[in-house]
Amino acid sequence: MQSEYVLEMKHITKRYGNNTVLSDVSLAVKPGEIHALLGENGAGKSTLMNTLFGMPVIHSTGGFEGEVFINGSKVNIASPQDAMTKGIGMVHQEFMLLPGFTITENIKLNREITKANPVSRILGKNLETLDMPSMSADSRKALDSVGMSISEDTLVKGLPVGYMQFVEIAREIDKTGMKLLVFDEPTAVLTESEATQLISVMKSIAESGIAIIFITHRLDEVMAASNSITILRDGKLAATRSAKDTSIVELAELMIGRKGESVVHAEPRSAHFDTVAMHLQDLKVNMPGEQVRGITMDIYEGEILGIGGLAGQGKLGIPNGVLGLYDMEGSVELFGQPLKAGDTKEALNAGIAMVSEDRKAVGLLLDQSIEDNIVFNAMQVKGNYLNKIGPFTLKNSSQIRKTAEEMIQELDIRCTGPTQASGTLSGGNQQKVCIARALCMSPRFLFVSEPTRGIDIGAKKLVLETLVKLNREQGMTIVIVSSELQELRSISDRIAIVSEGKLVDILAPSASDADFGLAMSGIKPSDHNKKEG
Amino acid sequence: MTTNKTRRIIAAVLCLACVVLLVLGAVNLPKKNNASGDAILGDLRVRTLLNATGDGVVESYVNIAKKEAQAKAKAEGGGMSAIRDAVKKAEEDTRAKYENAEFSQGVVATPELLTAIDNYTAALAAHGALEEAAKQAYIDAHYEEAKAKMEAEREALLAAGKDVPEEETVEVDMSGFVPTQEMLDAEAVVDGAYIGMGEALKVIYPVLDDEALASLQETIDAIVYQPGDSFDTQYDRYLEQLGTKSSSGGYLIRHSDDLIYTALALLVVAALTVFYEVLVAKLGIPRVIIGVFFILLCFMTLWYDLSLSTLLSNTVVRMGMNAVMVLAMVPGIQCGISLNLGLPIGLVAGLIGGLLTIELGIPGWGGFLFAIVVGSVIAAVCGYLYALMLNRLKGEEMSVTTYVGFSIVSLMCIAWLVLPFQSLKLRWPLGTGLRNTIGLDSTNFKHILNNFLAFKIGGFEVPTGLLLFVALCCGIVWLFSRSKTGIAMQAVGNNPRFAQASGIDVDKMRIVGTVFSTVLGAVSILVYSQSYGFMQLYTAPRQMAFVAASAILIGGASTTRCKISHVLIGTFLFQGVLTLGMPVANVLVPGSTISETLRILISNGIILYALTKSGGDSRA
Repeated sequence: MQSEYVLEMKHITKRYGNNTVLSDVSLAVKPGEIHALLGENGAGKSTLMNTLFGMPVIHSTGGFEGEVFINGSKVNIASPQDAMTKGIGMVHQEFMLLPGFTITENIKLNREITKANPVSRILGKNLETLDMPSMSADSRKALDSVGMSISEDTLVKGLPVGYMQFVEIAREIDKTGMKLLVFDEPTAVLTESEATQLISVMKSIAESGIAIIFITHRLDEVMAASNSITILRDGKLAATRSAKDTSIVELAELMIGRKGESVVHAEPRSAHFDTVAMHLQDLKVNMPGEQVRGITMDIYEGEILGIGGLAGQGKLGIPNGVLGLYDMEGSVELFGQPLKAGDTKEALNAGIAMVSEDRKAVGLLLDQSIEDNIVFNAMQVKGNYLNKIGPFTLKNSSQIRKTAEEMIQELDIRCTGPTQASGTLSGGNQQKVCIARALCMSPRFLFVSEPTRGIDIGAKKLVLETLVKLNREQGMTIVIVSSELQELRSISDRIAIVSEGKLVDILAPSASDADFGLAMSGIKPSDHNKKEG
Repeated sequence: MTTNKTRRIIAAVLCLACVVLLVLGAVNLPKKNNASGDAILGDLRVRTLLNATGDGVVESYVNIAKKEAQAKAKAEGGGMSAIRDAVKKAEEDTRAKYENAEFSQGVVATPELLTAIDNYTAALAAHGALEEAAKQAYIDAHYEEAKAKMEAEREALLAAGKDVPEEETVEVDMSGFVPTQEMLDAEAVVDGAYIGMGEALKVIYPVLDDEALASLQETIDAIVYQPGDSFDTQYDRYLEQLGTKSSSGGYLIRHSDDLIYTALALLVVAALTVFYEVLVAKLGIPRVIIGVFFILLCFMTLWYDLSLSTLLSNTVVRMGMNAVMVLAMVPGIQCGISLNLGLPIGLVAGLIGGLLTIELGIPGWGGFLFAIVVGSVIAAVCGYLYALMLNRLKGEEMSVTTYVGFSIVSLMCIAWLVLPFQSLKLRWPLGTGLRNTIGLDSTNFKHILNNFLAFKIGGFEVPTGLLLFVALCCGIVWLFSRSKTGIAMQAVGNNPRFAQASGIDVDKMRIVGTVFSTVLGAVSILVYSQSYGFMQLYTAPRQMAFVAASAILIGGASTTRCKISHVLIGTFLFQGVLTLGMPVANVLVPGSTISETLRILISNGIILYALTKSGGDSRA
C-alpha cells in the first residue's frame, strides 16, 4: 500500500515521570515537501524529533505512546542507526563533523567505499582498502547538489561556519535511500546570504523527492521555504496550516498563544517615566550561548522593564554583561554616570544589584548558611556587618543574625533558621535568599534574571509580588529578564524583545500575541504591519 | 527491619557477655593484692624453687662423680692429663645420666621449707627496696654531673666536626655506686635466710651439697625477686620457669584486668552495632573506621600490658608537632586550591629559617622567633610565585600541587649541597654540603615549646608550650576565617562564579590563601623540628604534605570544605593510630616494619578515598 505521506506520526504522547511534554501530537509529511515545525522553546519540537529518531533518552525513560508510519507501514524505530537505515537523516544544529578529516572523509564516514586486498581476504572486511577516487566522486556530486564549489579534499578544520552546514547537508543527501531530512535550526548560525542559499538548496533537495522537516523560529524563512506548517505550543498541537493559506501574523499568534492565567497582576500604569536610569549604547556581550550583538536602549527610573525573547537569543547576556561577568563592549551609563566596563565591584558599588539566572552555580554559596549568603555582598562590597578588632576586620554575627531574621520574615523564606545551609532549601526559597542578598545592598537598580525558573507556583507568586512591591514602595528600577512572556506581561511597564542578540522592539504589555510572536522571531511588528499595509 | 532486629540481638548478646566478663574481672581483680593471690603466688614460688634446686641436685651428683673420678685416677697413678680426662668423662657421663630426670616430680615441700622460703622472700624484698632507694638517691645526686659531661662530649664532637650521636636520655654512670651499710646488713639477712632455706632443701634432696647451693643462689634470687615486682610479673616469671602455660585459679586473677578491658571493648562494639548508621551518617565511613581502629589499639596496648598513658602522652606530643602542618591545609582548601600538596615549599622555607638561626648562633626563644620570621618571609615570597602559577592552571590544582611539591624537594636537594653555610653543626665534616639530619640542642631551639611550662600527671606528660602554640595558630586561622578577607576567600573556594558575581577578585583571594598556607607550612616545620629534636633536610619533607593532607581528611574535611575541628580530630586520630600502632605491631609481629607500612597505607588510602568523594558530595 503506497501512502500519500512519507512520514506520519500519530497521537504521540511522551511523559517524563509525571511531566507530560508531548500530548497527542500528530505530524504528516508528504514526499518532496518542506514541512516547517514551529514552536517556542520547550514547546516540544526537540522531544518530537527525539521520538522520531529513537534516541536513547526516549527509550530509557519509558518510551512513548502513539504510532509512527513510514510510507504507510508502521515502524518501530529503536535507535538513531535504525532511523538512518529507514531513510531518515538529520542535519544537526551543532556540527557533527571531525575537524581533522577532509570533506570527503566526513561525508563518507562509516559508509566508506572499499576494495578488497590480500590482508582483508584473510582477516575480514574491516581491513579493506578505501576506494578514494569513487568516494571523492560521490562527495563531489553531493557537494554540487548543495551548490558548493569547494574542493572535496579540503580539511573541515578552518572552513567557515556556513560551509560546515553545507557539508553536513551534503553528507545527509549522499546517503542512499534518503526519504526524509530533518533540519534543526539550520539558519541560526548562517549569514543572511548563506541562509538564502540554504533555502534554495533545501528547495532543490525537496524537488528531487526527499521530504524535509524544517525546525526554526524565524517566521519569514518559514513563509519563504515551506509548503506546510505544524505549530506546537506547550507540548500540544496548536495548528497545522498550509503555507499559502496563512500569514506571518497568524503564525506568530499561534506560536505565542495565551498560556493560562497569570499568577500576579500588577495595576497597569499610565505614568510617564522620563528620567533615564540606565542607558545602554551598542552593548555587545560575549556570553557563550547568549551573545548580545549590539543593543542600544534606555531604561527609565522607577519602571519595571521586562526583557523577553527565546532562549539563546541574548537576553541573559544583558544583565551579565552590565555586571561585568562576561566580556563586554559598548558603553553603559547609570544615572548619567559612565560605568567602567567589566568591573563587577564598581557596578555593585554604583547601586546595581543582580539576581542571577543560575541560582546554584552563581547565585548561592550552597554550603554556607542562609545568613552568610544574605549579607555576603553587603559585607564584601559595602563593608557593612563588620567589626574592627585590632588588625582583624571580623564579621559582626549579631548584626548579621538580625538582618537575616528580618529578611526571612519579610520574604517568607521557609527554613529551620538563619543557620541552615542554603543548599538544603527548596528552589523557591533559594531564590528568595538571592533576592534578600540583592536587597541588603539597598540597590537603586535591580536586575532580576529568570526569577521564576524552576520554582513552584506559590513561590513564583511571592517572588513576583515582592518585585512589584519593591518597585511601587521604594521606587526601585527593576529589569526582569525572563523566558516566560506571560510573567513579563503581568508585571512589566514595558517589554523589550531580544532576538539574535539584537533589540527587536519594545512593546507594551498589552500588545497582541501576534506582535510578540513576530518580535520573538526577529521581525519588528510595526515594520511588518506597515509592509502588509 | 530485620537487620535492625538482628543488630539489636547481637548488641544484647554482646552486652550480656560484657556483664559476665565484667563480673569475673571485678571478682578476681582484688585478689591480686590480697591473701588468695599471695597463696597462689606462694604455691607457685615453692614449685619453682623446687624445680630450680632440682638442677642443683644434678650439679651435686656431677660434683660427687667428678671427685670420685679424680680420686680414682690419682690412685691409679695417672699423669695430670689422665686425671683431667677422667674428670671430664665422669662429668659428661653424669650429666647424660640425669639429663631427663625430674627431681622435683612428686616432691612435697616440708613445713620447714615453706617457712624458710617465706623468710627468704621477705628478706629479699627488704633488701631490694633498700637497694632501689639507694640507687635512685645516687642517680639524683649525680644526674646534673652526668648531663654536663654528656653535653661537653657533644660540644667536643661538634667542635671536631664529627657526627653527634643521637642520644636522647642522660645515663648516670653507676660505677661509683657503693652499697650502703643498711644494704649490707640486709644482704647479710638474705644470706642467712638462704642458708636456712638450704638446710630445709637438703632434707628434701639429701644429695644436695653446699657448693651447688651457693652456685644456685644468684639464679634463685632472680626468680624470687625482681625490682618493681607485682602479681603479674611474678606470676609470669614463675610460669616461665616451670615451663607451663597456666595454673588453676591463677589464670583468671592474672588476666582479670584483661577481662575488664575485653568487657569494655565488647560494650564499645555493642554500641557501634546499634549506632552504626548514625555514626556513619555523622562522621563518614573513614572516620568511623579509623576511630574504631584507634579504640581497638588502645585496648590492645592494655591487653599487652603496654603503658597506655605514656603512649597517649606521646600521641599528644606528636599531635602537637604535626597539628600546625595539618592546619596549613586549611587556607588552601578554603581558597579553592584544594589540598595544598605543594606544602614542601613552605617546609623548606622554614628549614632555611632554622638553618640560618643555627648558622648565626641565635639561642633560645630569640632564635626560634627569628627562624619563624625568616621562614615566613621566604615562604610568603615563594608562596606568591606558586600562587601565580596555580592561578594559571585552574582546575588542575591536584596534580600541579603534587608535582610542585616533588620538584621543590628535588631542587632543594641540590641547594642543600651548594648553599654556603659555614657552621660545623650544619656541614658535613668532610666534603661540602649540609648534613642529612641536623641535631638541635639546648644552644638552639630543641624542645623549646615542648618544655615550656610542661608538667607531668602520672605517666602522662603535658607539653603545655606546644599545645599553647598550636592553639595560637588555630586561633589565628579561625579569626582569619571570620574576617572580611577570610570570608571572601572562602567564597572563592566554595563557588568562584558566585565570588566573581559579588565583585571579588578571585585570583587575588587564591593568592592570599596559598601564601597563608605556605607561611603556615614554614612555621609548622619549625614546630615539628623543635619537638623532634632534629631538622631533616633532603628528601624528608617530601612525604609530609601527604601525611598532613590525609590527617585533615580523616578529621572529616573534604577537598573543598574544612573546619579547624577537622584539623584537631584528624591529627589526633592519625598520630594516635601511628603511635599506638608501632608498639602493638611490634608485639604482634616482632621486628617488622608494619607500622611504617600502616602509615603509608592510611595516608595514601585516605587521600584516594577523599578524591573519589570530591566530585559529588556537595550539599547542593
